[in-house]
Order: sequence, then C-alpha cells, then structure tokens
Amino acid sequence: MNSVLVRPERCIGCRHCEVACALEHSQSKTLLGMITEMPRSAPRIFVETGISFLTFPNRCQHCDPAPCMQVCPTKAIYREEETGAVLVNEEKCIACGGCAMACPFGIIQFRFQPVVDREVNTKCDFCIERQKAGNIPACVEACKTGALEFGDMNTLVRQNRKDFSLRFLKSKGPEVEAVKVPENILAFRKIMEEVANIGPFKGE
Amino acid sequence: MIMYMDPESLKKEVERRALDKTDQEIVEKALVEGVETAWDRLEKQQPQCGFGQLGLCCNRCVMGPCRIDPFGGEPKRGVCGATADLIAARNLLDDLMVGAAAHSDHGREVLEVLMETAEGKGQGYQILDEEKLNLVAGEYDIDVKGKKKEAIARELALAMLEEFGTLKNKIQLVERAPEKTKEMWAKAGIVPRSVDREIVEAAHRIHMGVGADYINILLHALRTSLSDGWGGSMMATEASDILFGTPVPVEALANLGVLKKDEVNIVLHGHNPILSEMIVQASYDADLKKSAKKKGAKGINLVGMCCTGNELLMRHGIPLAGNELDQELAIATGAVETMVIDYQCIFPSITETAKCYHTKVISTSEKSKVPGATHIEFKPETALDSAKEIIRQAIENYPNRDANRVKIPAGPVKMVAGFSEETIRKALGGTYKPLIDAIVAGSIRGAVGIVGCNNPKIKQDYGHIMLGKELIKRDILVVETGCAAIASGKAGLLLPEAAEMAGEGLKAVCKALGVPPVLHMGSCVDCSRILMLAANIAKELNVGIEDLPLGGAAPEWYSQKAVSIGAYFVASGVYTVLGLPPKVFGSVNVLDLLANKLDGVVNAAFAVEPDPVKAADLLEAVIEKKRKGLGI
Repeated sequence: MNSVLVRPERCIGCRHCEVACALEHSQSKTLLGMITEMPRSAPRIFVETGISFLTFPNRCQHCDPAPCMQVCPTKAIYREEETGAVLVNEEKCIACGGCAMACPFGIIQFRFQPVVDREVNTKCDFCIERQKAGNIPACVEACKTGALEFGDMNTLVRQNRKDFSLRFLKSKGPEVEAVKVPENILAFRKIMEEVANIGPFKGE
Repeated sequence: MIMYMDPESLKKEVERRALDKTDQEIVEKALVEGVETAWDRLEKQQPQCGFGQLGLCCNRCVMGPCRIDPFGGEPKRGVCGATADLIAARNLLDDLMVGAAAHSDHGREVLEVLMETAEGKGQGYQILDEEKLNLVAGEYDIDVKGKKKEAIARELALAMLEEFGTLKNKIQLVERAPEKTKEMWAKAGIVPRSVDREIVEAAHRIHMGVGADYINILLHALRTSLSDGWGGSMMATEASDILFGTPVPVEALANLGVLKKDEVNIVLHGHNPILSEMIVQASYDADLKKSAKKKGAKGINLVGMCCTGNELLMRHGIPLAGNELDQELAIATGAVETMVIDYQCIFPSITETAKCYHTKVISTSEKSKVPGATHIEFKPETALDSAKEIIRQAIENYPNRDANRVKIPAGPVKMVAGFSEETIRKALGGTYKPLIDAIVAGSIRGAVGIVGCNNPKIKQDYGHIMLGKELIKRDILVVETGCAAIASGKAGLLLPEAAEMAGEGLKAVCKALGVPPVLHMGSCVDCSRILMLAANIAKELNVGIEDLPLGGAAPEWYSQKAVSIGAYFVASGVYTVLGLPPKVFGSVNVLDLLANKLDGVVNAAFAVEPDPVKAADLLEAVIEKKRKGLGI
C-alpha cells in the first residue's frame, strides 16, 4: 500500500503543497480559474510553524484502522480498498465533528460543499482521482525539497533505517546528523533558533 | 486577531513583543482593543516561505517563477539555467539596489529643494549653514569668493545633481575617503561612477542572461552600495545640513510619553525632513497656536517618528515618539490627531490603524500615496502653506479625540542627540587626536556603529540595546543612527550618565568630555556621518578605514536600505554583524564570499549573529585584531 512519508527536516515552509492541494480540489483545476471560484477551494494539507520557525506539513495519514472512521456515527467515512484512502461520503456526513475529535493529527476541516449545499467533512482524499490516473498526490508532486514522499511506506522508511544504522555504526551518537542536511541550511536554522529566542514569535 | 483573555498570557505576549516599558503599555492596549499590528501580521504570515528566506526563489521572468532545492536535489537550476549561487546573488543585488535607490532619491529631493531655495523659489527655506556650504562647494571646485550664498548653493546643487547621471565617471564626495581605502576600491574595481548609473546597471544586471558569475554580480553590489554611502546618502546629509543647519548637541525627550494629553499631537513620520522642517516653522505661528486654544488644546505638540523624527531631533530637539514598530503604537495611544507621512518604512496599513481612532493620516509625497490618507502634496514653492494647512487640519481634528480611549505612557526619557561628525570633531578640539590617543592608550578599544531598523521577529529594541550595553561595557564606543539610535534614546543610553554602564576606560573618557557612551549621529542617510568620522580618523593616522578598530552592526534590520548600508560599511572596510540572516543562505558560495572571501578584497566581511553577547564577542575580536594590525 502506498503512503506519504513526511520528512520534516526537509520542510522549509514554502506552502507549495497547500496551493497544489487547493488547486487539485478546485472546480477548474487552474490557478487563475481557482481564485475566482466560489466557494474558494481550500487546502487539505497544513504547513504549521513549530518552535524556532521550523515547519511541518500536516496531512491525513489515511490510518488503518482510522479513528475517524471508527467513531463516525453515520458511517460517512469509508475506506477505498484499492488505494487505502479514507474517504467521506458527503451525503451521509452530519458534520457532528466526531471524526475531528478522534483524529490524532487534527487535520479534519468542515467546509461548504456545493454538492450537498452545506458544510461537511472536507478532508484529504489522497488525490484518489490522480492516483487512479497513475499520478502521485498533488502535494507530493508540488514538494521540491523532498519533505513529502509518496510510495511504499516500507521502502520510504528504509532510508531512515539506513541513516540510523550508519550513525550507530559510526558510534558518534546523536551529534552526527542522521539525515543529510547541508551545512548552510543547518547554519540558517541555528540562526533562526536564536532569533526565535529573542523574538516574540516562539510558536509555542 | 488573537484575544488574550487571561492577564498572564497577555503580559507574556506584551513582554515578548517589546523591551521598552512604555512601548509595552501600548502594545497591551493595542492587543486589548484588537488593533492589528506588525506582530499580529508576522504571526499570520507563519510559516514564511523557505525558498524566499534562503534566497532560492527567482521571480523575475515568466519562464519561472523558479526555485532551487536547498537540500541538493532537483531542481538544481532555474528554467534559464541559473544556479543557487546566481539566484541568491541576483536577489541580493536586487534588494541592495532598491535600498541604494531609496537613500539616493531622498538625497536628490533635498538637493532639488536646495536648488529651488537658491533660486528664491522655495517657500520658507533658507541656507542656514554657510560654513558647510563653502566647504563642500570648495570640494566641487566652485569659486566662492565674492559670491552670494544663494549663487554658491545653486552651483553646488547643480554639481551634485549632475553626479546622479554624470558622464565624468566620478562622484566628488568619494574623494573624501582615505587614499588607501580608495586604492583598495580601485584594485577591486568598485569605485562608483555615478549615483544613478550603478543602480540602473544593477537593475540591468539582474535581468536574465546578463552575466552568470555571482562574484561579478556581488562586486557590482559593493560598487552600488558605495554610490549610496559616499554618494546619494552623503549628499542627502550635506544638503540637509546646508539648508537646515549642521546638528549640534541638543537635549530632548523620547518614547511614547512625549505625546501630550491636552495638546494637538502631530506625528512626523518617514525619512525626508524637507516638509517637516516647514511644519516645525509653521508650529510657531501665533494664529495657529490661537486656533488650537480655541479648540480647547493647550498647544501644538510636534513629535518625530523614525528618521524624519531623527532629522528634526538632531536640529531642533523635537521629541521622538519612537522607531519603526512604534508607528502603530503611537496611533493606538488614541492621542494622535494627525500622522504626517513622507516616505520609507511607513506601513501600508497605517491608515487602517488610524481608522481605529480619530487619527488622520496626511500623505505629502507624490511618490508615496496611501489609500485612506488625505493627500497634501509637498512642493518647495508652497511648502510653508502646506505645512500650515496640515497643522490646521490637525487642530480641526482635536475635538474628535475620545478621551476615554486615550492612554499616554508616563515619563518620557531624556536624551542628548545631535552628534554630527563636525560636532564631534569640534568638541575634541578640531582634531581627532584626543580620541585617537584614547584608542591608542586602550581606554577606548574601538568603535562600533549600530544602525538599522526594528523587525518584529526580534523583541523591539532588544537587539540594539543589549548589543549597545554589551559593547560599552567592553570599552567600545558606540555611534548610532536610525531606529537603533531611537531605541537607545528610549533606553536612556544617550545620556552622559549612561557612562556609568560603560567600562572603566570609556567611562573616564565620556566623563571628561561630558558625552554619552552611545552617540546619536542622525537618520539612516546619516550613516554617511559615520563614514566621515571613520575617514577623518583614518586620514589623521594615515591609514585606511579598513585598518581601524571599527565594527558595524544591524541587530534588528529588515529593509533593503539596511542591505545597502551593511554593504557600504563592509566595502569601506568595516566588519559588520547582522542580527537577522540575509536571504543568501541557500548558496554556500555566496555565503562564503560574504562571510570570508570579502576579507581578502576589502579587509572586512559580514557575519550573522542574533545573540547580542555573541555579536559583541565577534565585534570585539575583530577590533582587537585590527588593533594588533596597527601595532596598538
């Protein structure tokens, strides 16, 4: 089963994924068309700032079992078997918010959907249309830094495993960066950490 | 807008935003009353795009916009083929040239007023500093003998204006630099050829397909910055001095407490003093004073904001309400009738802030109109009339003030400003020898110019004040301009008594001369005064500026103008520490050039260090290194 692995150390907060997501779920699927549509298409992935100006792209992980699906009283949330995507049947959704309470990632949003003429759960649909057409999810395609990767989770995780093994074998402890982040980027992040320490925006 | 319901988190937020207690009072008022400020907008902007922050976003042409993967993967080049190095270098030159243009265009406008005044067309203007007029005219080979000051001023204004686009490939004021420094520039090929030419050429060079060598681009950036520091900015300073007088030490007050409960409060905000000088003149008008009384006010209270404030402070002792992040806070006191704006660093949303109260914003420059502002356009020939009209409108607005919504912090702080280069030199007895002796003896280790802005990413004034205190403690004299100087005014560092905070050596020198350990040298174009101070000391010692135990710092910078200032400091041989990273960290090579390789070209480089104590360590180390180089 394919998933999206987030590599937070590679996220630089550009929010390309957010724009690509909104675009994919717009009516016209064009940038210039999207900005005049009502209701305005909104992203289903969220780049949040944490401490020291570091960022994290937070999205539906299509859990299995999915807590949102388990608690949904109207069985509006279901799994698409082929891709494993957790999807919403908008007709059945009563916007009770139970799914949002249960979601461990806090990514469920309720937005107006013209098909049902009311606000319903408008979560990530794993770009199911794109996947069926043989494409990867829009957010992953838009990410130019490798912070979002799409593929077989076990394969994607292998890199992390290799990095850890390397560090372990070198026996240099945690000060050796497991993941290769260039020196200049590390220097930048160190400076921004200091800025955060003497500024109002700590993101706590 | 986040509503801070519980007092504890409100207090915490307030203390995170501003260092100064009086600022904190109004930060709190703005939060409670739901008035949006730059701090709120910074929060709403999170996260900010990493491509932009790292300098890896190129948004110049329509093959793009492009960005480079900072982690070394694809894409490695823009559509045109530009690498991370080229994109970062072009972006930096872009920022720098905008800053240089802002300073220089300000200079041009002062020269135009000088010209009109000389021709008798300016209303209310006079040539106040004949001594300086004659001196500078002499530098331009203008024969002053037997000529009226107006005639000399006209020739000088023309000669300087000519240098904006000169064909002679030379800016006269650049000659003021020490011989050795000039030789260094000639060797690097960065002697500026005219004021406008370097800026126009910079705009040319960042076009696609005009050079792909990041080193060549950055060398031109240095040349452009020199055309600002030793050209446009220096002309702004000199022409302002000739028109309005060269500053001498003056006592005044600072912080938001300078606003008055029972007077018509007018905030003069921006950078160019040409109109505000006339507002100062108009404020003495008996009729206007009378009509203020008629509206129930005890008088007309002019206060300065940002560098227009610095200019008026330096020459008239007009109190300073604050620096960049105070512009919204001043309005949020509820006590400002009118905010007069000229240009630069005026928040585009300032009229929205004003809408929360009775405050009227009056724009005055054709270049700088703001939706929602009343526009009373500045023209030299009607300047005094416009100034009176502005004050009249402010008086009219006084009855609209809602006393229930007014909060003015108590206790403005005293300060001494007005330390022009000439004043410092005269105070020392016409020569820098006493200062040089103190430096040689080691009682003063060196000097650092702290300049630049506020930036809401750093607690307001924290960077300036902590670094200033740290340096004087280490017997390093501090000279300041711009928002940095205003911060020190608010914090009480611009008082002779502040010498008590200095190290033993500096303290003794300050006490002997009766001067503060931190000297307010003016507005941001007046960074040219810092250059002249350095140049004249170097000349007395027969060395280059690059040999002197000096440093520069911009702890809270935000603006493109600061990029230009930082670059002309470094290009003039002054090691400079930035408190926020410039947008170049995506390129290892550009970083290496700015932080290391420049040292081999101009004997100075950049460093980035937000922490004030660590920044002081860096500056002290360079000062000690240069002392060693001089054999002292």
